[in-house]
Amino acid sequence: MQIRVKCCCGEGKCPEWAIVELQGVVEAQPDFQDRLQNLQIGLLCRPSSQENYTFTVGYHELTGSKVPLKKPLLVLKKIKHSNADEDSTTVNLSGVEMEVIGIIRHRILFKTRPKALISSKLLLVLLSF
Amino acid sequence: MDKEWMHHSRHSEAYLNGVDISNMVYRLQVQGHNGKMQMPPPRSSLNDTNERRKAEMTTCHLQKLKNLKMEQSRPDCCGGAAAVLNLQPNSSISVAYHPLFGPHDDLILLELDEKLLPDVLHHRVSFRGQPDEDAVLCTRSKTYAVKFVGTSNSVFLIPPSDPSGLHENEQDGDKVKRDNKAASSVIKVAPGSMELVEVAPRLDKLKMLLSENPYKFDEVFEMDELNEMVDCNMSLYRWDDLIDKVQASDDELRAALKSLSAVEIDGYWRLVDEDYMDGLLKMLLHNSVLNEWSLDALHEDEVVGVLQSDGFPCKIASHCLQVYGSEAEGSLGGRVWRLDERRVCIHFARGILQGGKMKMESFMGEWARKAPEGMQVNFDMLEGEVLTEKLGIQTWVYSFSVSSLPSSPAERFSLLFQERPKWEWKDLQPYIRDLRVPGLTSDGLLLKYTRRTQPTLDADPVFSAR
Repeated sequence: MQIRVKCCCGEGKCPEWAIVELQGVVEAQPDFQDRLQNLQIGLLCRPSSQENYTFTVGYHELTGSKVPLKKPLLVLKKIKHSNADEDSTTVNLSGVEMEVIGIIRHRILFKTRPKALISSKLLLVLLSF
Repeated sequence: MDKEWMHHSRHSEAYLNGVDISNMVYRLQVQGHNGKMQMPPPRSSLNDTNERRKAEMTTCHLQKLKNLKMEQSRPDCCGGAAAVLNLQPNSSISVAYHPLFGPHDDLILLELDEKLLPDVLHHRVSFRGQPDEDAVLCTRSKTYAVKFVGTSNSVFLIPPSDPSGLHENEQDGDKVKRDNKAASSVIKVAPGSMELVEVAPRLDKLKMLLSENPYKFDEVFEMDELNEMVDCNMSLYRWDDLIDKVQASDDELRAALKSLSAVEIDGYWRLVDEDYMDGLLKMLLHNSVLNEWSLDALHEDEVVGVLQSDGFPCKIASHCLQVYGSEAEGSLGGRVWRLDERRVCIHFARGILQGGKMKMESFMGEWARKAPEGMQVNFDMLEGEVLTEKLGIQTWVYSFSVSSLPSSPAERFSLLFQERPKWEWKDLQPYIRDLRVPGLTSDGLLLKYTRRTQPTLDADPVFSAR
């Protein structure tokens, strides 16, 4: 079977997507695990004019930088044509197409260990447990 | 306990859509960490047994690309990818889960070379393969294997914001204090991406498909047979069927059809049965003697006309000229062909050796007799077609055609060493020169699949199996 890759963006006009990448996983507290939508993950800051960034997740701060990808990543979306419109015989048999909906050229990569944003007072509280 | 944590974290005052950020827990997956870093008390199942960004290559099957419906995204958070990528110095942006955040298995990341981008933008690429085959991506001229490369990092995918979706969520009724900072939304956490590796087209299947049902002599007279075959679902393949079934780019498929001497008859790509082809060529040569045609200048219209009156279909007759000849240049009015001495002679040599191996002298004698007048047979023509072996003082010739061998290097070498444990370079070369492996030179191929021995410095190297 053949799955065609379509692109409706026109030459060089693919909308650019972004990647924020970090080591490890971000977990929501159990109360929120089933409804992540709209939940804030963290705060992305650019403290200076350099391409350095911090990402604050809960009480952890990550330091990273914006890096161009060696090769671009295309964002493909699989589109399944419903068999309902069978009269249009031009659609290929598999009825599946891939559409390019975006391109990614940069990611903001956090590859360092996090710094804990914890006051020494709290640390004492913690340690006393 | 949680409350306390919240109040002491520096950003606990930040809210988005009424959700306190300290509901997020970040877990760094580092080996041998041993709990010395200030991590929150264990809450849920920690997955700390991690290796750093270990990418695992798994093969990706087309059928595995599940299809989940995703409504056209209308993020009601402003910002989007551009806000992240163009974040100004001394500013910050909130990164949140998109209102439509989910697994979105229908969204796939494909890494590809910058030079392939124009092909994609002009709709010249497609994935090809049967559900049980490893998918390949084909451009017009090349074939790429598709590999899924997983990552254990969290890769947050942020789509561009839909401008029309800006400031739309006022009526959402969230009376809770909203963050007035710009926000970017994560639609999906990508488990990895697809990577492309250029590969040789997988053409052995083409040969197999076309060999199922070659065009035969009796088909000519039974006009209804084609319809019958179509009705009976016999193996007949149109170009589109081949594209569906064979993992090769259009150009590669076209070249392969040509090298197999396939011909398109009534819309179906066929191989012509060897005996039929033999009869046709003999008839052509016979006619050229009768009509005093020069084998160096055969006028297509004339030749095809005569062959048609002998009962051969027009299409097959001109196919014969293409298989055994090359178009002569500078011809006025109609196409003119010159028969290729080598191809015609090889044809007769094959016919002679069909019955099994022969003594060299008797083979050469018979070959010279059978070749058309004006053509000189020469044993060198049979490179890659026959092998010789010495039994006592006699040299024997037998048929061993490179065209009957598989095109994947591993299988090819395995068969070659099955045939003969040791090969001299001059014998081996004709059987491997057509192998093309992207990124591997022919020396690289030899290094990978053979062991080279050279008894003395001036002796010819000998190749054996690894």
